[in-house]
Amino acid sequence: MSIELSIINSVTIRDSKVYKNGQLIFKSEPDLVISKFLKGIYRDQNLKYPKFFKMDSLSKFGYLGVEILTNANIQDKETALIFANSASSLETDEAYARTMAEFPSPSLFVYTLPNIMLGEISIRHQLRSENIFLVSEAFDPALFIDYSRGLFQQEKADKVLCGWVNLHNNEYDVFLWEIARSGGIDFNEEELKKLYLPTHE
Amino acid sequence: MEGVAVTGMGIISAIGRDVEEAHFSLKIGKDGISYPDILSTIHQNLPVGEIKLSNSELSEILNLPEDHAYTRAALLGVYAIRELLENSGMERFPGDTGFISGTSVGGIDKTEEHFYNYKENVADRKYIQAQHPGFTTEKIAEYFGINGMVTTISTACSSSANAIMMGAQMIESGKLKRVIVGGSDCLTKFTLNGFNSLKILSENKSRPFDNEREGLNLGEAAGYLLLEAEDQMAGENILGRVVGYGNANDAFHQTASSENGEGAFNAISRALKKAGLSASEVDYINTHGTGTRNNDLSESVALKRVFGDHIPEFSSTKGYTGHTLGAAGAIEAIFSLLSIQNGKIFPNLNFSNKMAETNLAPVTEIKSKHIETVLSNSLGFGGNCTSLIFQ
Repeated sequence: MSIELSIINSVTIRDSKVYKNGQLIFKSEPDLVISKFLKGIYRDQNLKYPKFFKMDSLSKFGYLGVEILTNANIQDKETALIFANSASSLETDEAYARTMAEFPSPSLFVYTLPNIMLGEISIRHQLRSENIFLVSEAFDPALFIDYSRGLFQQEKADKVLCGWVNLHNNEYDVFLWEIARSGGIDFNEEELKKLYLPTHE
Repeated sequence: MEGVAVTGMGIISAIGRDVEEAHFSLKIGKDGISYPDILSTIHQNLPVGEIKLSNSELSEILNLPEDHAYTRAALLGVYAIRELLENSGMERFPGDTGFISGTSVGGIDKTEEHFYNYKENVADRKYIQAQHPGFTTEKIAEYFGINGMVTTISTACSSSANAIMMGAQMIESGKLKRVIVGGSDCLTKFTLNGFNSLKILSENKSRPFDNEREGLNLGEAAGYLLLEAEDQMAGENILGRVVGYGNANDAFHQTASSENGEGAFNAISRALKKAGLSASEVDYINTHGTGTRNNDLSESVALKRVFGDHIPEFSSTKGYTGHTLGAAGAIEAIFSLLSIQNGKIFPNLNFSNKMAETNLAPVTEIKSKHIETVLSNSLGFGGNCTSLIFQ
């Protein structure tokens, strides 16, 4: 028996642009270095969270995505997090590895795991909910659907935030969405692919 | 009986190359901690739980062609799953078998070995893609011809515990009939230097839960379980069952656990609820117990919060194997099942004095006891806390 679920919000960050529910909400000049692009979004959203500046770029993308997706407010503290990407924490792995020759940097090493992003989001919103980080070669809608259905079926959560947050070689691909039992677009592979790839249709 | 059936298991770690060897070491209190021989590192003073088989020896045992691109984590994973296949009584894995593998290191070992040669040495370039953590999983799946659902979990030290949780969930929801779950992680310079930079490695053998504990020893291992829906079993024997699981974020710090053990408290409580058990029904706890100041105190506080004055007998088996990161949850799941099968609590090594803050003592001598229910904790960086319950 499969249950019906809805996508109630989504955010895409791609090609120097930020979209919420399909609407362009922020745009920076193309080819800006990533750190400046991220800071631009932070300022534009009027966020005040000093911990942001200590995060690595992958965590910044995850943090900003969630703030935009939820209007910086997650009421239901049981909201579960299901995130995935392809490049794991490779960007920071490389930065940390470069320090190994001299003095290995502890502040970089702590970010050499992709699920640290989930830790940052959980700290920010004081979520003590279930979270998982999956690594797959490409965006895999079925994986998110199966895992979320399991959570709803077992009544572990009434809200789930999903995220594909990938960063490698200065290329980023960020897509987040919020799932509930009702009140939005049907949560299935087809709709998810449509939201993920609007520009390629 | 409720729960998901375990019908096969396989393990390789510093205390043995199969389940029987690991069981023997656990029984006689023999640890696998040594100085690094196979990992080439300047940190010769740091004890590790190293598997004394080189990559070429492993490749030979596994009959791999000379030009293969298996990472060490993939070699260890294949090694362990060969044993699992054998003791499940199956000839090969049926086509609908899923595979969920946890890892924190992935193929970083190959990158650090070959990174500076990629420009000149074309033959080594096959390892470039090995850095991807999913690559290690795909290589293992390829070896066994598994083409069902294959995925990789990366949630630090709870990765393979989460693989077990996800697999059990997939079977219960009817999405899969059978799935191989577990994890594999190898020693690397990357992690040894990283943990050292965080100042949480001990220069002596680790002493989980001891008042004078001074840090953890890193280890390497691969451990896998075969989970099956009981009404559609292909494996011959039920070795045990996964009856409960729970995951929670500690929401405190990237790499440290909270003082009140909130994450572990929530994970344990959720696992008990899922299993439909009361706290008093747990016979033994295989703790996360890494030997760091922070983890062992936080976990002890969480145990006190869940169990009050009646904390079940507990021990950490990390004194035997070192902390095997992404593989820890799976190998400790196997140790938990061995405790149930054999009615034994394996001792917590190197313990002498209770922690001043909590006054708790783990089991330090092997002990015979009828054990029905074991709780196993895995608490990872990023605040990812997972508890599993086996019967």
